[in-house]
Amino acid sequence: MLDLYDKIEEATAAIRAQWSETPHAGIILGTGLGGLVEKIENRVMIDYEDVPHFACATATSHRGRLVCGSLQGLPVIAMEGRIHQYEGYPLKQITLPVRVMRALGAELLIVTHAVGGMNPLYQAGDVMIIDDQINLMGDNPLVGINDDRLGVRFPDMSAPYTPELIEVGLEIARRNNFIAHRGVVVAVTGPCLETRAEYRFLRAIGADVVGMSTVPEVIVAVHSEMRVFGLSVITDMCLPDALKPAVVEEIVAVANSAEPKLCALVEGVLEHEALKMAAD
Amino acid sequence: MQELAKQIESAVQAVQKRWDCTPRVGLILGSGLAGLADAMCVEEVIQYSEITCLPQVTSLGHNGQLLCGMLAGCKTVTMQGRFHIYEGYSPQQATLSVRLLKALGVDVLLVTNAAGGINPSYQVGDVMLIHDQINLSFRNPLVGINDESLGPRFPDMSEPYDLKFEKLAIRIARQQNFVLHRGVYIALLGPTYETRAEYRMARQIGGDAVGMSTVPEVIVARHAGLRVLGLSAITNVGTPDHLTPTTGHQVLEAASKALPKLNSIFQGVLQTL
Repeated sequence: MLDLYDKIEEATAAIRAQWSETPHAGIILGTGLGGLVEKIENRVMIDYEDVPHFACATATSHRGRLVCGSLQGLPVIAMEGRIHQYEGYPLKQITLPVRVMRALGAELLIVTHAVGGMNPLYQAGDVMIIDDQINLMGDNPLVGINDDRLGVRFPDMSAPYTPELIEVGLEIARRNNFIAHRGVVVAVTGPCLETRAEYRFLRAIGADVVGMSTVPEVIVAVHSEMRVFGLSVITDMCLPDALKPAVVEEIVAVANSAEPKLCALVEGVLEHEALKMAAD
Repeated sequence: MQELAKQIESAVQAVQKRWDCTPRVGLILGSGLAGLADAMCVEEVIQYSEITCLPQVTSLGHNGQLLCGMLAGCKTVTMQGRFHIYEGYSPQQATLSVRLLKALGVDVLLVTNAAGGINPSYQVGDVMLIHDQINLSFRNPLVGINDESLGPRFPDMSEPYDLKFEKLAIRIARQQNFVLHRGVYIALLGPTYETRAEYRMARQIGGDAVGMSTVPEVIVARHAGLRVLGLSAITNVGTPDHLTPTTGHQVLEAASKALPKLNSIFQGVLQTL
């Protein structure tokens, strides 16, 4: 367990050897959302396979490389392609990149992912700013002996997503004239999509959208005392009484079409961060 | 599972080498509740490290020793410090202590924990008698080949907590004039505290208090045929619409407020044995 610390150091050193800046934010790009990478300036690309202890992304439309550079004038490190529990990796390995981002100096984590919408007021292509989360993955990345150098034994989860940034995100959406919902994500293991009965169950316990990622990364970010901004892109609607089979190609297409909104939100939040830092 | 029987046997020998009595009662102390052992007339203290097959305790507020002696006139073995699944133990390892108690001769298990109240009528420092439980830890200590010498393949869980003890406890609380809730305990995996959305979920599905322990131990206790009395000290209230941060130390402080109440229930119940 305590070898996690050494793994973080080794991975951090490998990245520093290729990119010497201190990132302000780490960004995790979900299914079909890789296009944000084009906006990053002075890009330095590092394949996951060149970073010690990083797992390789195997999921559809996840590329598997780090993109370091600057966005809105702030140094950022983005993960193009994430690793999921359903690929067979333990949560500690899945969340290692977040630890490494933190070790590199990132104080903010921006997470994006594609989800199924269960709140009937949502539509495919909408964006939801994550207000809160439910962990139904049956596991927790913090299980094991706690390494106090990385965070506390029992992290408080009363506000995993930074309230200030939720407000900033909603404001950006209003200004840009598109809908951004604010809701609760539930994370399940997958990889099968939910049955109708499971959708009813997840809706009944209070979730607005369902996905197979993000929650472990956010738990580790909170453990590392990072601030978090999370975005769910609703790529299909999962209404149990009018359920249609999910087609992965369609999901990716909808995710791509939502990209301008996602870019506006991520860039807007970073702009807000930059202004705040300038004011300090 | 044969291996489990061997581990139990070796643990029993380690204890009996130091304390050669047959206990009637096993007591498991939760976070911040170590003071319950003060009412014990301790005859022998055995460190967990002396019992080679027991894992090491890593969590806040847990000491890691076995107290053997008398409690309210009953031969009792107290587990001061418990094993949690979030510490990285398998559910079988985490519940080995209950197997040990049973093998030593215990037939009554008293189990305590520090829990977050999610029933809005609960207050910090209250005590909840565990009437029933929901296992949301995604783990079950009985997964694997069943060893019939330890218990049945499919243990009945219609009454995990003994109803006679429940009646007694309620009477004691009334006599002593303190509030004793009866409720449903939900075990989550942890170690993160719950999000607001998770509190709402836990309430929605019928929970009154949430925590990160007890349920695996009670599953094993029922498998082994022990009668169980469970008490939760409500150490924080998870009101999702007005949630304030929780720290481990606040939990320990609040647990000590509930201590005298837990103590009088145990004293009263054990006197009837």
